[in-house]
Formats: sequence, C-alpha cells, structure tokens
Amino acid sequence: MTCGPDMLYTAAIFTCIEDPAMNLEKVVFGFFIVLAMTLNFGFFIGDLADPEFHHPYELFAAIVVNLIATVLKFGDRTQIGAIHLSTSLVADLQLITAAVVWAAAAGSMAEHGSIAPSTMVSIVSLSGGAFLANVTSVVLLIIETIMLRR
Amino acid sequence: MDSILFLILRRMRAPLITLIVTYAISVLGFTLMPGTDASGAPWQMSLFEAFYVVSYTATTIGFGEIPYTFSTAQRLWMTFSIYLTVIAWFYAIGKIIALVQDPALRQAITVARFARQVRNLHETFFIICGYGGTGSLLVEALDRKGIRSVVVEITQDRINELELLDVQTPIPALCADARLPDILLQAGIMHPLCGGVAALTDDDHANLAVAVAVKLINPELRVLCRAEYQETAANMASFGTDHIINPYELFGEHLAMEVHALGTYLLHEWLTGTPGSSLPSPACPPIGKWIVCGYGRFGKAVIRNLQREHMQTVVIEADPQLTGCEDCILGSGAEARTLREAGIEEAVGIVAGTDNDINNLSIVMTALELNPHLFVVVRKNKRHNAPLFRKFNADITMQPADIIAHACLEHLVTPLLAQFLSMARGQSNAWANQLIGQLVETVGEQVPETWRVTLSGELAPAVVNLLGHNRTVTLDTLTIDPANRSLKLPLVPLLLVREDESIILLPALTETLRIGDRIVFCGKPDAKSAQPLLLINRKVLSYVMEGIELPDGVVWRWISGRHRHTAP
Repeated sequence: MTCGPDMLYTAAIFTCIEDPAMNLEKVVFGFFIVLAMTLNFGFFIGDLADPEFHHPYELFAAIVVNLIATVLKFGDRTQIGAIHLSTSLVADLQLITAAVVWAAAAGSMAEHGSIAPSTMVSIVSLSGGAFLANVTSVVLLIIETIMLRR
Repeated sequence: MDSILFLILRRMRAPLITLIVTYAISVLGFTLMPGTDASGAPWQMSLFEAFYVVSYTATTIGFGEIPYTFSTAQRLWMTFSIYLTVIAWFYAIGKIIALVQDPALRQAITVARFARQVRNLHETFFIICGYGGTGSLLVEALDRKGIRSVVVEITQDRINELELLDVQTPIPALCADARLPDILLQAGIMHPLCGGVAALTDDDHANLAVAVAVKLINPELRVLCRAEYQETAANMASFGTDHIINPYELFGEHLAMEVHALGTYLLHEWLTGTPGSSLPSPACPPIGKWIVCGYGRFGKAVIRNLQREHMQTVVIEADPQLTGCEDCILGSGAEARTLREAGIEEAVGIVAGTDNDINNLSIVMTALELNPHLFVVVRKNKRHNAPLFRKFNADITMQPADIIAHACLEHLVTPLLAQFLSMARGQSNAWANQLIGQLVETVGEQVPETWRVTLSGELAPAVVNLLGHNRTVTLDTLTIDPANRSLKLPLVPLLLVREDESIILLPALTETLRIGDRIVFCGKPDAKSAQPLLLINRKVLSYVMEGIELPDGVVWRWISGRHRHTAP
C-alpha cells in the first residue's frame, strides 16, 4: 500500500472538514489533483515492459483527469498557482505523448498484446515522468494548505 | 494587462472542462460498444480510433464510419455522442472566442502595444494631448520637420484620422483620457528622451489636469498648455507650467503688431511657419475707426490691443448681459441697420469675431456691401469651413488652431528661437524689415529651417578641439560651405548665447567663438545638413579655415611629418 503524500493529505482534509468555513471549491480542486496523481501512479506501477500491467483505460482516465486538473489551475495569479499550472502542463505533455506513441504503434484494442516491449517501455517511462510532475503538484498543494492553516 | 488576462483564463475553465468531460464520455463509450470487423469477427475500437471518430463528429466534419461499418450498438452510441459533443463543442468554442474578443482585453492589448512603441523610441519626441484642429496642425508640422510625436486623444474618430495620415515616421497614438496619470506615464512622461508635453484639448480643465499631473510627476519636463480662460491660466501658472498659450490674447497682440510693426509680425510668422510654405503676404491694417462684432474673449483681446494702438473702436454684441459689455450696440452685426448705427461708412476696418463661422461670414458680407473699402478681419473657428474662408479671402483670417500651433512650434522646436523672437519684438520695425530683407536674400522666400548649434565636446568636437588649443575661431567659419571654401552656406546666425548666459542678437560674423556657446541659425535645409560636417570633422574644418588638406591615416601623417622636417 503506497503511503506518504496520500496519507498526509487525507489527514489535512479531515482537519478541513471540522472547520465550519470549509471551501467546496478547494475540495474539488484538491480532489482532482490527487485523483490525477493516483490514476497516473496506477498506470505506471508494474513491470516496465509487460503490457499486462498497464491497462490502456487507466492511461485514458489519467489523461482526462489530468486535463481537468490543468484547466482548474487556470487563472491563478499567485506564484504557487503559476508553478501548479506548469507542473500540470508537464504532466499533460508527457501523458499525451505516451498516448500518441501507443496509438501510433498499435492497431485496435484486440491487438494490444502484440505491442513490442520496447514501445511499452517508452510509454510507461513517459507516464512515470508525468507521475513525478503530479507528485510535485500534490506536494505544492500540501505546502499551501499547511501554510494557510498556520 | 495582467489582470484581464487572468480573468479571461478563469472564465475559460467552464467551457474547457465541459469539452473534456463530453469527449471523455464519448470516447469511452465507443471503445466499449461491440462491433464487427470486415470478416464478421467481434471487434472493439481502440482508444485512439474512438478519439479520432469523436473528434470529427464533435466538430461536425463527419467523415464516415471507419474503419469498418458500425454495428447497431455503435450507431446508438454515435447518435448519443453527436448530440452530446456537438452542443458542447459549439458552446465551448463560442464562449472561448467571445472571451478572446472581450473589449477590455482588446483595450488592454492596445494600451500595452502603445506603451511598448513609446518605450522603443530612440529620439526626442513630444507628447501631444488632444488631436483636434490644433493638435493635427502641430503633429503635421512636427512630422515635416522630422520630429517624433506621441498622441493621446479621447475620441476614436480622430485617432482613426491620424492613422490615415501620410507621415514620415509612425506616430504612436492612444485613444484614452489624457487626464489620467497612468495614461500620461504610458505615453512617456518619464521617458529620458521626452522633450515636452503639449496639452491642446478644447477643455481648459483637461489641459489643467494634464499640466498638474506632469509637473507633479516629472517637474523637469516642459509643459505647454492651451488656456482660454484667465482663471485656468492662473491656475496653470501656479503649478509652474512653462508656457500658457491663450489664442485670443496672442491674436490680439499679433493684430497690434501688424498695425504698428508689420516687419516684426512678418518675421515672427515666417520663422515659426511650417517648412515649405512661403512668406505671408503683408496686410497692413489701417488706422482709424474699427467696428468689432462679438465681445467674447476674442473680441475683448482685440479691442484691448486696438485701443492700445490708439484706434477708435465700436462694439456690436448680441448679448451684452452675458459678455459684460457696457457701451455697445445691441445686435448681431449681420443686419445692415446695426452696422449703419455703428457707423460703418466712416469705419476703416471690421472684425467679425463671433464663435460661429457662418455668422462671421455674413457679417463681413453685409459690411462689404455697405463699405467696400473695409479692412476685413474674420475669425475662423472650424477647420472644415476652410474652403469658404479661402474663397472669401479676407485680409486677415484668424484661426485659433493656427495661432496655438505656431506658438507651440516656437517653443518646442528650437528652444532659443522663442528667446530670439521675444527680443525681436522689442526691436524697431525698421530693424525687423532689414532682417527680413537679409534673410530673404540669403535663404529665399520659403519658410527656413531653424536649428541650434552647441559648441560642446560631444556635438562639435573639431571646433572645441581648436578652441582648446587657444586658436581663434570666428563665427564666419561656421558659415562657409565645407565643399568649397570660397562659397558661403545659405544661412544666417540669429542669436548667440554664451555659457555665462550673455546674449548677442544678430551676432556679427567676426564674433569669436568660445566653448559652451549656443548659436541659433536660420537657413535652408541643405545648409542645416551640411553644417555639422564643419563642427565634427577636423579635416573639413582645417580645410575651410586655412585651405590645407590635413592628411588622413597614420602612414600619410608620418610621411607629411617627415616632409615638413626635411623641407627647409
């Protein structure tokens, strides 16, 4: 069971719920950012070359949620907002590139077993990069939350 | 600029998220729907194929059912997708385009572009607030003299006119209220190369606001203001405005100058005219009884100056209560009866000074019918009536815009020229006539260029170098043609100001020069471009002074040095 950022953030969110001035917008924001990271991690984990471990639907879900998270970060004038947006854009870039590589290399879903291991490795390593960008985003979110609580 | 951009980005969130979600749902559905391939075997779309199909469905392109004909399930999903994605697509695209065309965003972009143009100016420029009749005259004149200007004007129509103007260098222009200090800052009042601000709007209070803002933000910057009322003028003066121009007073003074010192007036007009126009033909107002129609600010100024010249004046005013006229004939002046009552038959001149062009023209037409020998002075208010006045060809046509523009040029273009002209006004008419004769002889009848020469290390190194070695250089040297030392350049020195601020009017050519002198020259454009050679190039200067060609380059100088040693 992976721990670390998830547990910390869950702790932060519970303290938030007790606070009567909880902001729905912040909940949605945090939800999508963390969801993006978790889906991305879900796709990434497992043997790098084996297609059995990496399901295309998970990549699809990761892309969709990452795009939504990017759009949610638009229009923030602060320095932290700018870094959030940049990490999201990096993650989007990497994930979309991974999808393009997969589409170019493969045919329809029925053929996904015949993808060459080297292609699979490129796809998964790109998503690994995106995962790191998402982790940065979540870390920033935690820092922002803790600073506000102080 | 930044805040509006962020606002636009925020507003784009909803349409973009709608788009992403509808696309995701459709794509997912397509991959799940069972279909059959060409051979009848069960087949499902890959994610990429689904994305491709949804892309051309949402944008209503509609290629067809690829790669194989769709099964019923797929078609069902396709129908649902069409309604979902097409609507979302139109909504999102429409919203995004509307946001990009947001007027506030476009205004912010225009202002940012204007500020960037101003920042990138590399030469002295003047800021002109108000692009009405006066502003346009001034801008055109400055452009013909090769001087950059920046325009701030509140009505978009006039800015459009400015854009259509045929100018030598592009003029940065902004449609904004010049009273706002932010706008003035962006127009460049803190720019190191800004030479001055001219507040020429038709609202005295706006001009006052500009003067105050500039004097408080950048006290060193020169400000010229147009003021038609005394209170505003006094207010402006209290803030330290450099020059306050009241067109009516100026015209009154010019009229008086024309009466008693025609030569001075001609000199004045000629030196402050726009380059390329010719000497104004002299019109000498006769001495005697004058009838003035209209007792507004213009009328009052004219009457004051005429009475100073000891002329008898009779005033005709349509509304004596409003203008405060005590001893005047009631009437508009356009009826023959009123003019006869004023004594038109014995008058020598008539001044039509109301603020309505048509009234003025009808007054003088009626007057000329009664007394064809009248000297006619008519006030022209609007530039668009110019053809009427040109056809009518009065003896003097006064246009406030012209007067203000000339006054501005006098102060902006060559700083010492204003000083020269004020000293010239103190001289006699005969002196002025003599000077005009001399100028016309040297320079011709076209309006001459005026420029200033400063004998400093950066601007006149050759001359300063010679003066530093204790050689005498006379003013005569600066008037010789650098191409042929037996010829003279077509220019005349008007004023010499020494470093200790002592002034010599019309310096003689034998006058010795000293470091730090400033000289105002007046001459033809070729003279203006040829003279700097004398100031900067040592070789040319020594050729002109002594007739010897100094050798160039180390080798020749060494050879000629040896020659001089070996020669007896």
